[in-house]
Amino acid sequence: MNDSFCHSVGRKVVSRASAKELGAVEHLLVDDQQRNVAAVVVGRGKKARLVEWARLSGFGPDAVMVVDEGALRPPGDDRERSAADGKLELVGRRALSERGNELGTIDDVTFDADTGALVDLVIGERRAPAGSLLGSGSYAVVLDKSQEP
Amino acid sequence: MNLLMTASQIRGLPVVTVRSGEDIAEVRDVIYDPEAGRLVGLTLNRRGFLAGRSHDVLPVEAIHAIGQHAVMVLDESSLVDPVDAPDDVAHPATERNVLGNDVLTEGGTSLGKVTDLVLLVGSTGEVVGYQIDKADGGQGYIPLPAQLSVSGVALVVPNITEEFVQEDLVGLGATVDEFRSRLGLT
Amino acid sequence: MSVIGWLIVAVIVLVVVAALFVITRRRRRGGGVFATRSKR
Repeated sequence: MNDSFCHSVGRKVVSRASAKELGAVEHLLVDDQQRNVAAVVVGRGKKARLVEWARLSGFGPDAVMVVDEGALRPPGDDRERSAADGKLELVGRRALSERGNELGTIDDVTFDADTGALVDLVIGERRAPAGSLLGSGSYAVVLDKSQEP
Repeated sequence: MNLLMTASQIRGLPVVTVRSGEDIAEVRDVIYDPEAGRLVGLTLNRRGFLAGRSHDVLPVEAIHAIGQHAVMVLDESSLVDPVDAPDDVAHPATERNVLGNDVLTEGGTSLGKVTDLVLLVGSTGEVVGYQIDKADGGQGYIPLPAQLSVSGVALVVPNITEEFVQEDLVGLGATVDEFRSRLGLT
Repeated sequence: MSVIGWLIVAVIVLVVVAALFVITRRRRRGGGVFATRSKR
């Protein structure tokens, strides 16, 4: 079943082991090469924690279920710290083609809630397939030339 | 997708990596070969509010693409240390800045002064003409290869260039081929 | 310090930042469009 970044922000994160609420989804960290959701950022600022996709028992429409509280960990490297600070957030980022022309702004990103695989990036009325994603960072999301108007 | 851009539109563009979506520099100078009619490289400034020149340069081979909003490179390692770059890019001939150069026909008529360079971008960097402030007023465009010589103070162009002064970029794009065949180049 | 005093400090800071901005802008914008050296 498909879900989207905009819909999942704010969703509660619950431990399967203890049923305790651990926080809410703040950001989803994407792996550009694998084109999937690599980790979920829970909480903000100093309290931000990451949960790797593999440590989820389920990404559901009402709650994101984490195997246990131990799956939450602080950011481990610069990239994870940037993600925790929201600097790598795809939604709201400018979309550039690999040819250097602006395509618009990323309004949302859809993904398969079972596997974490990205489905497409929504840019206004258009949908760019996840396969066209070449790279993303704090300045832009770069899509291949098939996305040129 | 190929489009016509001027050097002043390219200067100041961010240099963005395809692989990591980061703006790692911005364009400072445009260096071109007037004889071959092609872009040779770019020098760079660092990004940021109070930042200055960047040490690294971008020879044309290191550029993935030039577009309306960014110059694209594959990743950070695409920036080249000047010791590894062609001399014209590592140490641009600052005395050969063509902006402001007088455009003189072989016959001795001034067509105006150079205000910009026009390039065909996309996956190659071909120089197609110059933008000029016309001697009789207003802006015009003349096609390349137009000049017989360049000194940094003046450009000397074939006499027939006078017939090919265009009002806009669209006109320039349309006449480049005709101009070249008139010069016996195609 | 009085309000006037703080205002003067603020103006000085703004002037310094503006000057730095103008100086670095000119260092960045300097240059232009260069032809390669003749091979002939």
